[in-house]
Amino acid sequence: MVELPPLTPQILLGLTAIVLFGIDIIAPDTRKNGLLASVSAIGTVAAAATAVWFLAAGSGDYRFVQFDGALVVDALSLFFAFVVASVATLVVIGSYDYIEGEEHVSEYYSLVLLAATGMSLMAAANSLVTVFVALELASLPSYALVSFLKTDRGSVEAGLKYFLIGALSSAVMVYGISLVYATTGTLLLDDIAAEVAGNQFGGVLGLGILMLAGGFAFKTASVPFHFWAPEAYEGAPAPISAFLSSASKAAGFAVAFRVFTTAFPLDAVAAVAIDWSLLFAVLAVVTMTLGNFAAATQNEVKRMLAYSSIGHAGYVLMGLAALQSGAAEANAFVLGASMTHLLVYGFMNTGAFLFVALVEYWDVGRTFEDYNGLATRAPVACVAMTVFMFSLAGLPVGGGFLSKYLLFAGTVQAGFAWLAAIAAINSALSLYYYSRVVKAIWIEDPSDDLSLAGTPTGLYTAVVAAAVATVVLLVAFDPVAQTAVHAADVLFAL
Amino acid sequence: MAVAVEYYLLLSAAVFCTGVFGVLTRENALMFLISVELMLNSANINLVAFSHFYGNATGQVFSLFVMALAAAEVAVGLGIVLVLYRNFDEVDVRNATTMRW
Repeated sequence: MVELPPLTPQILLGLTAIVLFGIDIIAPDTRKNGLLASVSAIGTVAAAATAVWFLAAGSGDYRFVQFDGALVVDALSLFFAFVVASVATLVVIGSYDYIEGEEHVSEYYSLVLLAATGMSLMAAANSLVTVFVALELASLPSYALVSFLKTDRGSVEAGLKYFLIGALSSAVMVYGISLVYATTGTLLLDDIAAEVAGNQFGGVLGLGILMLAGGFAFKTASVPFHFWAPEAYEGAPAPISAFLSSASKAAGFAVAFRVFTTAFPLDAVAAVAIDWSLLFAVLAVVTMTLGNFAAATQNEVKRMLAYSSIGHAGYVLMGLAALQSGAAEANAFVLGASMTHLLVYGFMNTGAFLFVALVEYWDVGRTFEDYNGLATRAPVACVAMTVFMFSLAGLPVGGGFLSKYLLFAGTVQAGFAWLAAIAAINSALSLYYYSRVVKAIWIEDPSDDLSLAGTPTGLYTAVVAAAVATVVLLVAFDPVAQTAVHAADVLFAL
Repeated sequence: MAVAVEYYLLLSAAVFCTGVFGVLTRENALMFLISVELMLNSANINLVAFSHFYGNATGQVFSLFVMALAAAEVAVGLGIVLVLYRNFDEVDVRNATTMRW
């Protein structure tokens, strides 16, 4: 019996990307959208299944240190490998219909798989070198994917804005890494932690940590590097918006969780440089408030979802904000709640964006009014969309209710009741704009010429699968939450 | 020979600020790319200088990674600038404004 390498999920994703390129080399001129989509889906499903299998078999209890500490496989990295791979599965299945008829289809799927590889590696990165390389491996394909519709002005503009802000923030981040190296003389997270305590260059170190946080804020679409998100999500092909707002965000949080808990222990850093949990508390409040208020004023559904995605980044940031030194149990609970919310969010948000992809496929329009009466023509998809919307708002029709509840409860338990109160107010506000969509599709009358051409199988499958997963997570929430809290436990038990 | 290591920190900070200034003021997408390149290379100055200071090769090796990634980033960036030119007939970053909130 051969033992599988601990990094199997990541290797599977990378191999699939290479296989897709290989298929394109062998048969460059034939139409093979179906073949490419199936190969990608098989690869991502296999990666997700391996991650679940490893978690179930208890591999997550240990830290498998790879490549002299550059990468590490533990429960956190397996958990997020599952999130990324399952979102990627939904995205490639949905893309099958969406990019049918476009050119360069094989590049599209390969880039999705390469970005997924980068995102799952981000969750396993244990050195600032691999953090940066994995982050770029996730970012560079994303820039190209956002501007994939080369003749569409919106897509190109979105790609440009995403690229410009991405290049800027990665430059800021690598400068931050160089400052951390300047003060500690190492780039391995565990060794940095040892050097941080009592460090005499607190100012430079603090600046480096701030700049690193900036890089993560870009990846998670949090204030102050959130400007790209509405444009990129609106202009990008809708499945790519789903991919970026779910998987990319989850990976950004995964790497932020690991770097800040492993390399910069709160008590040591707060003594010499900055109290980063306070920084994240401020960012969380600003991010969720800005995201929710901006979402409430939108006319277009896709842009509303983009701002709601910023709002959810704010909720998840509470997991970092509510950490405090010397409270290991409460810390693990609130961080685990954040991770759970990211997993549930992965399904419900991907589903919502794929519903938008479905509507774009029908060429119905983008505003709330254009969605009027869709339920009379496409009831199944609209039931799914209703589940996503209410679950995102935190009503008990999907897993979003429980994960939000767990996150707020964890924040209160950690002694940050004011933060949870602000989040609860924001969450109540969010119900307003989510229910606007539901009202449009179910209650308003359709315009006379509303006709939906075709039933795209792939998009329907992906939307329904995401809806089923969201509802199942409401029933089978306990094992997921326990896995996440356990993963956070492993992270703190270094 | 020996330049104190603090001066490298000052030099890199100056180069970094030049880059930030360029990013904030330039309207040509290519100049923007060049400015980002300055910012990345200021990090390389730090990495190489402190690699020498601490006597380990980590920083130097990482600076090679940074250079390679900077090249990859520019390749993707130039591709995007090219489609920008084809769609908007110029490379002024201020004119791609079909979406506004």
